[in-house]
Amino acid sequence: MRTLIFSIAVMALGVGCGDDGVKPSPDAPPLHDASVDSGTPTCFSGTPTTHEQIINACTSAQGIEKTTKPPLLLPDGALPALPP
Amino acid sequence: MRRLIPWIALIALGGAARPAAAATCDTLPNPVYLQIGDTQLNLVKRLGRALRNNTPNPITLVFVTSGSCTNINAIYTRVPITGNMQYIPSTAEDAAWTPASATLTCTAPGTGVVPDIANSALLNSACTTAAPPATVHLQQGPVQAYVMGVPIASSQVAITYEEAYFVFGFGAAGMVTPWIDEAQMFIRTVTKSTLLAWGANISVPANKWKGMAFDGSPAVVSALQGSTTPEKAIGILGVEVADALRSSIKILAFRAKGQHLAYFPDSTSTGRDKRNVRDGHYTVWSPTVWMDTVDAGGAPVSANARYVIDLIVGRSVAPAPNFSAIDSVAAVGLVPDCAMGVTRSFEGGPLSIYKPAQSCVCKYESLVVGSACATCSPTNACASGVCRDGFCEVQ
Repeated sequence: MRTLIFSIAVMALGVGCGDDGVKPSPDAPPLHDASVDSGTPTCFSGTPTTHEQIINACTSAQGIEKTTKPPLLLPDGALPALPP
Repeated sequence: MRRLIPWIALIALGGAARPAAAATCDTLPNPVYLQIGDTQLNLVKRLGRALRNNTPNPITLVFVTSGSCTNINAIYTRVPITGNMQYIPSTAEDAAWTPASATLTCTAPGTGVVPDIANSALLNSACTTAAPPATVHLQQGPVQAYVMGVPIASSQVAITYEEAYFVFGFGAAGMVTPWIDEAQMFIRTVTKSTLLAWGANISVPANKWKGMAFDGSPAVVSALQGSTTPEKAIGILGVEVADALRSSIKILAFRAKGQHLAYFPDSTSTGRDKRNVRDGHYTVWSPTVWMDTVDAGGAPVSANARYVIDLIVGRSVAPAPNFSAIDSVAAVGLVPDCAMGVTRSFEGGPLSIYKPAQSCVCKYESLVVGSACATCSPTNACASGVCRDGFCEVQ
């Protein structure tokens, strides 16, 4: 029952973050890197002003989560230089 | 007389064997000469028809398509167009013509004609760092999004910034499955806005791209549609090209650098609202740039050329046309500047919030998806906002 109430409360918050079901917490900072269950950081729920906030603003638009990593990605997530 | 008869016979035979020559373009009513990117062809076909039928100021758009960087150079350095050009018939000339029909052909007059209007489908600074000559006037027009498309039979739905970097910057060596066959990577040549815009957004300079480089969008379309290995195939296109081919080409969602999820240009994979372009969730887009020539005092050399550009960029014109230019813009998948909520100052650069002086979001949405805005009229004022085109716009 507690789960159901929580779910209804979360749904009532309205604004979504793509179609992955991730919702911003009203108490959370507008944008943070803490991963939720899906591994996707939450969307930005405030009024966006920076590029990063704009592209990660909460939206009802369909969002696609893609977790695969290219094999040549460097261990720190950086991109190697392009071949000559 | 015996010497004359063979000449007469030869002339008669020659006339019969030659195909009918195309008319000279300057015989058409009020021609305005354009050199445009091929992503703008659908827009110019629609506008060309409307302008031929524009009773208050009938104009014939006479045009050729080429790469954006070539077009910029043409008007900066006054390179004449020679040979065949295209135009659209008026309703009186061909009532059955539609934007899906072929264009008609005419021949550039004399030794060629410098375009009255040149178009770049991306910011000029992506092609040249040279400042425009004082004789060239630039205006930013509708926003053009660029997409990665795959054959409809492909199971792929999204690509990330990192994947695109490896696919097009490393080719097969990038090892990003299923896009590991360079013969199935369909790209454009280095002067084309589609390649330059994508390059700026995935950090792959134009001269570093791997894949099969085509001169025109139709070749990319044909390659995608005809691929015998659709899962491996991927190509780059202007969204207005891909939008017209949704039954055979699937647009991939794109996750930009630093973005958490991938998004389509539209709010859904099947939508037509360009909401993600307008609010910044889809980042691969550029304003189109429209250029005409001005005199030493800054006045347009061709009043009709400026009339056409003002219609495209959403300015008021006199005499008022008998059609709505924003209808043509929206119909081909472009986003008028007045419907944008974000902007950028250089190709692939960071987005910032944008509030156009006169919003047309309600009008635009009414054309592409239906508007939830309040409606208004001279006898029905808006409770808030400004009444424009029958809708209560925010400003």
